[in-house]
This record gives sequence, C-alpha cells and structure tokens, in this order.
Amino acid sequence: MAKVEAGMESMLEAYIFETNSLLEQLDEILLRTEDAGFFVEEDINEIFRIMHTIKGSSAMMGFENLQNLAHKGEDMFFVIREKPEIAKDAPFVYELIFEVSDLYKAEIEYIQTSDDDDFTPTDFSENYTKLMDATKKLKAMAAGEAVPADAPAASTTAAKDAPVIVSGGEGSMTVRVFFEEGCGMENLRAFLLLTKIKEEGQIISHIPADVETNAEAAKVIVDSGFIITFKGFDGNNDAVIKAIETALNVASYEIVETVSEEEAKKEEKKKEASSGAAAPKSSAKTDDAKKSSGGGQKQSLISVNLAKLDQLHDIVGEIITTESMVIANPDLEGLRLESFSKAARQLRKLTDELQDVVMSIRMVPLAGVFQKMGRIVRDMKMKLNKDAELILEGETTEVDKSIVDSLNDPLMHLVRNCMDHGIETDVNERIALGKPAKATVKLAAKHSSNEVIITVSDDGKGINCEKILAKAVKNGLLTKPESEYTNKEIQNMILLPGFSTNEQVTEYSGRGVGMDVVKSSIEQVGGTLTVDSEEGKGTSFIIKIPLTLAIVEGMKLKVGTTIFTVPISSIRESLMVGNNKLINDTQQGEMIMIRGICYPILRLHEKFKMPTDVTDLNEGILLLVDVDGKSVCLFADRLIGEQPVVVKPFPKYLSQYNIKAEGLSGCTVMGDGTISLIIDVNTLINS
Amino acid sequence: MATVNYNEKLQALLSSQAEIEAAKKDASNQEITKVLTFNIGEQVYGIEIPYVVEIIEVSPITAVPGVPEYIKGIINVRSKIVPVVNIRSRFGKPEIPFTERTCVIHVSTGDTSVGLIVDSVADVISISEKHISRTPELNNINQSKFIKFILEMNDGIKLVLDVAKLIDDQIREDT
Repeated sequence: MAKVEAGMESMLEAYIFETNSLLEQLDEILLRTEDAGFFVEEDINEIFRIMHTIKGSSAMMGFENLQNLAHKGEDMFFVIREKPEIAKDAPFVYELIFEVSDLYKAEIEYIQTSDDDDFTPTDFSENYTKLMDATKKLKAMAAGEAVPADAPAASTTAAKDAPVIVSGGEGSMTVRVFFEEGCGMENLRAFLLLTKIKEEGQIISHIPADVETNAEAAKVIVDSGFIITFKGFDGNNDAVIKAIETALNVASYEIVETVSEEEAKKEEKKKEASSGAAAPKSSAKTDDAKKSSGGGQKQSLISVNLAKLDQLHDIVGEIITTESMVIANPDLEGLRLESFSKAARQLRKLTDELQDVVMSIRMVPLAGVFQKMGRIVRDMKMKLNKDAELILEGETTEVDKSIVDSLNDPLMHLVRNCMDHGIETDVNERIALGKPAKATVKLAAKHSSNEVIITVSDDGKGINCEKILAKAVKNGLLTKPESEYTNKEIQNMILLPGFSTNEQVTEYSGRGVGMDVVKSSIEQVGGTLTVDSEEGKGTSFIIKIPLTLAIVEGMKLKVGTTIFTVPISSIRESLMVGNNKLINDTQQGEMIMIRGICYPILRLHEKFKMPTDVTDLNEGILLLVDVDGKSVCLFADRLIGEQPVVVKPFPKYLSQYNIKAEGLSGCTVMGDGTISLIIDVNTLINS
Repeated sequence: MATVNYNEKLQALLSSQAEIEAAKKDASNQEITKVLTFNIGEQVYGIEIPYVVEIIEVSPITAVPGVPEYIKGIINVRSKIVPVVNIRSRFGKPEIPFTERTCVIHVSTGDTSVGLIVDSVADVISISEKHISRTPELNNINQSKFIKFILEMNDGIKLVLDVAKLIDDQIREDT
C-alpha cells in the first residue's frame, strides 16, 4: 500500500515536520501540567488545538489510524475541558496521552522510514478502546462531581425517568436531536451535548435520562433521537438551539414543542445538516483555537528546508573564499589602487555581515533538545521508581542547527545514564549521605569563548574509581601500570569502547550502546566529552562543542609543499629556537624547555610523511599548541599567516580511511584555490 | 510494440525491399550508451558517459596522510573537494610522470565523486549490443572485478570499467 495518495507526497514532509513539532509541544505542556498537578484552561485549549490539528492533517494525508487516535484523545480532553479539576485525580490521563504521543512518534517515524510499497498503517484499535475507557471513566468522575453542583438539573432528571415527552412549562422548548450516523457512543455524545446546553440554559428533562451511565441508552438515541427539554437563560432559547447546532456530531435536530407565552411556534424546523455538519463543527473549533493562542499573536516565522540553509551557508563560504581570491589577487601586486581598496573594504564589510546573518539563521536555542530530556526523566522516574527532578539551565543558549540535531542522541544517553547508574536506587542511601531524597539531574549550557559547554550532571552516587579500574583490568583496557592512573583518567575510562559497568542490561541504558558511542558522536561534530565525578556527590558529563562547525580562524603553516591550518584558538605562541635548546629523551623523542616547562616536539613532516627540505630546528618554526591542558610544540617549515577558513569535510570516498585519527579534521580551499589541511590539535596530541 | 510500429512506418515509407532488410538489421545496432575511452599505456579503457562529470587538467594535488598509495590526495574542483586516484597504481601498474596529455576524469555515482588520473583521454564512442563481447570468464583475470563489460570494436578491445565498484568501499584489497 502506498503511504499517501498520489499528489500528496510533497505534503508529507511538511506534515511530518508539523506533527512532530506539535507532539513536542504536547509533551512539554503535559510535563509542565503534570508537575503542577492541574490543568489551566489555556493548557487544555492548547492540547485540544494540538489534537485537533493533528487529527485534521492526518485526515488530510489519509492516515486514518492516526486521525482516529487523535480523535479519541480529543474526546478524552473534551471531558477534561468541562471539568479540569478531575484531571488531578486521574493520573491515567497522563499515561494515556504520553502513550498516544509515543505511538504517534513511532508511527510517524515508520511513515518516514518505510518503503512506499510495504507500508501498512499500524492498528491502534487497542489504544482506541483504552482511550474510550478512560473517557468513560473521566465522564463518570465528572458526573459524580457534577451532581451536587447542578442540583436542580439533576433532580429534575431523576424525576423524569419515564420516556414521555413532558412539556417543561412556560418558555421551555423540547428538541429531538439525531447524531451523525455511526459516530458511536451516542449516549456519551448526548451527555456532552447536555453539558454544552447547560452553558446556555437550564435543562428540564431529557430522554433517555441516564445517558452518562447507561450504555444501552445509545441504542435508544439512535432509534428515536435524544429528546431534551430545556429553558434558555432569560428565555433565550435561540442560544441553546445554536449550541445544539454547533455541537459535535449532531446531524440534525427538530423542535418538538415550544411553549411560549407569545406564540406557540410549532413549526417543524428540521435542519438537515449531514453535509454541513462538519463545517460548523470545525469552525467552532477554529474559534477555540484562535482564542487559545492568546489573542492571535502572529508569528512571523517560516520554516525552511535545512538543505537550503546548508546550501546558502556553503555559498557564503565560497563568496568569502572568492573575495580573498579577488582582493589578494597576485595580478594586483604592486599596484596603487585607491578606489579598488576602498571598494574592497566595503565588500569585506558586507560579506562579514552576510556571514554573521547566515550563521545566526542557523543558530537555534538548545531549549528544544533540553525539553525532550524532561520526558525521559519523567518516564524513567516511573519505571525505575527513583524520585528525580530535571533542572534546565541556559537552555536559551544558541548553537548551530546541525549541532543541535547531533546532540539529541548523546544527551539522551547521558541523561539516561544519570538516571539509571548515577542516582542511587535506594533513597535511604541518599538520606544517609545528607542529600535530599529527591535527586536532581541538571542540564546546563553556556557559552565560553568559541565553545558551548553543556553539562549533564546528577547528584547521585558518583563513579567508584576502584570498580572502574578493576573492570578496566578485567577487560584489558589498561595501557600503563595501574598505579600510574589518576582518578580523572580512571573516570574517563568509562568512555572507552568495550566498557560498561552495569552488569545488568536495563531497558534504558546498556542497550549495547556504550558511552564510547556517545563520545564518538560528539567528536563527530568536533566536540569533546569528559567526565568529572566525586564519589558520593555525583557525576558530571561535560560536553564542549565548537560554536559553529564551519568557519575557523586559522594559522597557515607550510610543510614541504603542503599547507596546514591550525585553529588559532589552540595556538599559544610561535617561536624559533636553536638546536642547542633541544633535549632528547631516551626514546628518540625530542623536547624543548620553554620558561622552565618541558614540551614535546612533534615534527609535522614526520608525522604526516611529507617530504621537506626544512628538517633543522634552526630553519623552521615551532608552534606551541595546547588543548585541554595538554601541550605540544609543532614543528613546521614556516608560518604563512592568519586567515578565516571555511572547514570542509573530507570527501566521502576518503571516509573509509581514518584520516581523522591522523589528526586532521578537514580541509579548506584557500584564496588561490589550493587546498589546506586543517589540523585537529586534540587528536594530534592524543594520537 | 515500438519496434513493430517503427518497422511498419518504415515499410510505408520505404518501398525498396532491400532498405527494409537493412532497417531490420539496425535493431542490434541501436545505441545503448556512450562510453568515454581513455588510455593507460597501450590498453584502452572506457567509462560510461552517465558517470562522467567532466574532464579536467591535473591541478596541484594536496596529499592526504593515512590513505593507500593509489589515492594521490585531494584537488579543488570549483570549490568542491575531490579525491584523486591514479588509475595506474590502482591497477598495479607503475606510475609514470604526468605529461601534458595526462588528465583527470571526474566521475560520480551520485553521492560519491572521484577523480581518476589517466594517461590520456581518447574518444567518446557510441556502443550497441553487438559490440559487447560475451566473455563471462572474467573471474580469474586480473583486475576483472573493476570491468563491467568488454567491447570488441573494429579498432580493438576496450575494457569498460565498473565505476560503482571502483568507488565502492567494499571492494578494496589493501586495507
């Protein structure tokens, strides 16, 4: 079966995007309200709107199963909307809605990934039943509370049990309502209708009388209609009629009897609305939606395909390169070009601005990713029976969109890890240590020079270094004598491939995805991951990622015929020293003493096997670089100069070879069209 | 169906019986694809035109560490970084110094593109079914895994390379 009808394929992407963002919104509201313990009207309206939009767009795309699911969810919230306070006594509502939200996400992912031909919509009938049951339950609860509140109506209801149409006295009106054929649960719809009418008038009686509790009533309603006798407030029966007209699933109604002091209007006004039924229904909803979105504040936002942004970004990169190609063109050398230089300066200013704007377009706050973690903490809290709270800090910090996307999985894994392994299973353990019974998982983000630092921390039991070391010995991960390891090194061992301390595989962490995968996926976007832990106090995972992947201020070095670029941010100083300063260690390693500190020397031509004539320390230049407190002196032929470079990844064909492990992070095209290799100081030092 | 119609139309148009005969023969002469041929030493190789992006002169190549010998490095093709492979050393032949006829054939299989250094580019030829030699016993012949089919033309044998396999990660012997 094809996923969508022909002609709708183009809409699919928009649908998936829209639905996903709506679901995220839904999750966020639910988490917030669950914590608060009650729904405010706005929230319910918002949920309603979300459900309704999903329902509508799913119907449009022809995903009937999704449409029905949203419809059932909507029904449930309809009851809650009437009586928001019942929600707090009904935790199952949250469970169900979260479940629905998950089902949606799964189905949408399925739609996205499945082949067009073997796509079969998932059967949600079991969930429908669950939702309907919950709706019934809620209704019962709502009704239970409603009795004392609406005493007069309830008492009359009790009195008019017999199925006879009784005139309601002066100013009253009796109407027979038919629901849409096959809409199901007519008794509950009748009940909903009653609640709606109550807003406009007083209900004197209705037949059948026991709609909210008796499922049999549904049949009676289908056969002979639902007969309501009511009296509008201030004799305004028209308002009630209007309410009936616009009520959900009402197909038609007829006025059976009108008792009025002015005139007995016995005119039978049958409004056949089978075709028009949908229109008033949806327009009523739209009105609701408009109201709920807070005075109709217009968002001047558009969504753009990320590929287009990438393209724009690439082009700006090209422009910057081309610009320096023009301005520093060798043909112009030695010429006095006053007006040209002026124009060139102007151009540079504009391209700088252009670059800033393009960068800022791609910047998105981390809030989206962070909020998703709230959901994970919530679910795990339930499953693991640990009381924990997620604190978000600095979620407005903005980073490049591509980084945000690639952060999702690592963060999820880290948060799971904190919940599962970090936080004590036994609350008493925490109390014994003087910690609050409720554990904290903190997600914090902040800017720091050219980086964004994201910390995932918990106040759990921390890392037991002895355990880690023992495990590392067992798995043969040690590379030097045990006693030489510092605590920090031991803690960071949990990031090594082939390491997992939890013996038991749980549903959350330990699905075979080790911390090393988290580490490597962060490294893929040029970031680093470190662990900092204190036993008994908690663990922090620190992620450092570059603000943007694309443009780096670089220093160009020449080695033989090759030009390398070293990010300025990691350069401390450059120096020329004589051979006499050279210190040789026992293993042919070279070192140099600068201001009383010894630094190892790394000859780039040897490391990268590039032939060069400059091998004498006297002739070349040393560049002191450091990353994460580790330093090394790079030896190159000479320095060429500074230049902002647009980082390009190595071509796909080369991805099968481990160039990155060699200490190169990418390449860049320079002003004259030649290619420069960008050195990744971090891997270079560690390799 | 199409051929029948074609023939019917021809029949109507051409009265001469001989001409009809000639047209029938043409069925096997129908062009399947075009092939760009190039030389490595004395041997003529070919690449199907759909894979060829362009032919470029050899520009300065930036060497990249940690890759096999036959990957000479990367070049800049209008701001796109393209890796270059020397076909000679890829096929285990000795490399020769670049001449003015040496050039790079930029090929692509959609998402992966590679530049192939060849001695010289020869021609673009149209091939049809009858030129393709049915030589299934390729398995034991050296380099055969990169050969898609063999062309027997009037001016000699040409080996058409399987670009997908040549670029494919799975087919590599030396890492």
